[in-house]
Amino acid sequence: MTASISLRGAGRTFGATRALADVDLDLEPGVIGLLGPNGAGKTTLLRLLATALPPTQGEIRVLGRDPEVPAERTGIRRRLGYLPQEVGFPRGFTAFAFVDYIALLKEWTEPAARHAEVRRALDQVGLSDVATKRIRAMSGGQRRRVALAQALLGSPPVLILDEPTSGVDPEQRVTLRTVLAEIARTSIVVLSTHQTEDVAALCERVIVLDRGQVRYDGQVTELVRQAAGRVWLADQPDPAATVSWRTGTGRYRNVAAHARDGVEHVEPSLEDAYLLLRGELPDSQPAKEVAS
Amino acid sequence: MTAALAPARPGAAADRTTFVALAARETRRFAVNPVFLFAVVMTAWTTWDYRKAPANAVGTGNWYPWIFLGGFGMMATFWLTRSMRDSEPVVGVTPTTLPARTAALCTVAIVPFLCGVLTLFAFLHFHPAGARVYGAFSPPAQVAVLVGQIVIPSLGGPLLGVALGRWVRFPGAALVLSLILFGWVNVATFGSLSHPDSAAFTALRLFSPFAFFTYMNNAADVTTWRGSPWLFIGWQLALCATAVLVALLRGADGRVRFRVTRTLSIVLVVAAILLVLAATGGFPHAVHA
Repeated sequence: MTASISLRGAGRTFGATRALADVDLDLEPGVIGLLGPNGAGKTTLLRLLATALPPTQGEIRVLGRDPEVPAERTGIRRRLGYLPQEVGFPRGFTAFAFVDYIALLKEWTEPAARHAEVRRALDQVGLSDVATKRIRAMSGGQRRRVALAQALLGSPPVLILDEPTSGVDPEQRVTLRTVLAEIARTSIVVLSTHQTEDVAALCERVIVLDRGQVRYDGQVTELVRQAAGRVWLADQPDPAATVSWRTGTGRYRNVAAHARDGVEHVEPSLEDAYLLLRGELPDSQPAKEVAS
Repeated sequence: MTAALAPARPGAAADRTTFVALAARETRRFAVNPVFLFAVVMTAWTTWDYRKAPANAVGTGNWYPWIFLGGFGMMATFWLTRSMRDSEPVVGVTPTTLPARTAALCTVAIVPFLCGVLTLFAFLHFHPAGARVYGAFSPPAQVAVLVGQIVIPSLGGPLLGVALGRWVRFPGAALVLSLILFGWVNVATFGSLSHPDSAAFTALRLFSPFAFFTYMNNAADVTTWRGSPWLFIGWQLALCATAVLVALLRGADGRVRFRVTRTLSIVLVVAAILLVLAATGGFPHAVHA
């Protein structure tokens, strides 16, 4: 049986604000990147998938179960790892104690097995050596990794991660990519991030949200390919460019909506493609020149 | 690609196993809470300190267990209940539901309850039943008075703290409620002293979870107030059950919500009946000894 998530016409409103509307998606095992500007609906979508929030329209099925039915919702939660955008920690807890507490709530009742699993999860995020340190005394990046460790408990078939690498140092980000890639061999990993390099490095598929709607859903390579011939370096910002910024070499990277000849083209990145896509969306107004 | 739909961990345990393990975890967290430890020490110290003060034994000495085990116990469980509030985005999507977590928190009240039982035994050791200080009550009724004053508040205060923690956002809610109850008990007590036969003060006193049934009016005169200590215990237990059910209502949905609401309705009716019976039972008027 294939592990899958499906959304049909799913949406969510908060009072008069429409956070997400008419989303149709089918998600299969692998790492799926979720990109979009602030307020695009990424976190709302992840909260719907994580059963933290019910949809106000449409339907969602996670591993064939309906999250609106209490018993089925519990069934989903037994197979779910969720890292929210913001996690607070109780006073006085060490990293081990916190992850161990969550493991208990995830029904790891046998102490020896639970402790072994907690140690494994902390090891995956590189926190074995500070497992007994109080969380309040940890750095922001370490706290983020504690929160990630609880999501990795039990290698769940569905892993929902909201900005997992936020505040994490580059070395740990590479380690986490390895961990997530391994988990994604059998699990659905949905990853929301503002780090396009994480998506480029990890994901085969990317979904771009804007104002609560899906604007792009496809292969990362296909999105990048659409930017081919539309990115070039020059000594000055090009007036024809949609976006341009000064790079570390002192030259300007120009990204334009239309292909341009007679310039020094460079290989487009996912970030270029994303900026182009954003620029093409109605009412989108990306900054003309981005600070380097 | 395919993914196994096996549980996220080997050998999924029954809900009951998780509940027992979680209740044990919360009980350990409660037992080492500094506020609760302070309450235990103060209860032991005041009980010991009042062992040779029979003239004030019922009227003063047993205020302390309910102040410390009940009032401070309420603050400790309130803190314990709120301690995971910031982690709710994570905790809230685990298979252990909020009502199950609340039920596990309620079980920690066993600890202060047992402390209350020990305090009762100590109190009876220092002031055996039958002493004049207990007024006109029979020895079993004297024990009932003490159970209502020492043991049940040690259970009810912490349970009230869980309900408050689940429903009230204000961080000082437990402290404020403790002070309100303290003030209420004082008003009811002093009102009963000045008007021992007053039906209004009887109702007010019985509505206070820590009310008294007897008091030293002065060094030579004990007044036993109207009302039934036995039925008062029933009324207090109904209040404890109400606190548990109100706490469980938070986050309950579907069948669980229906069952909790139905049980709460029944308990409230039983509580009202017990309140009336407690007020009308026992001595029909104050008795001086």
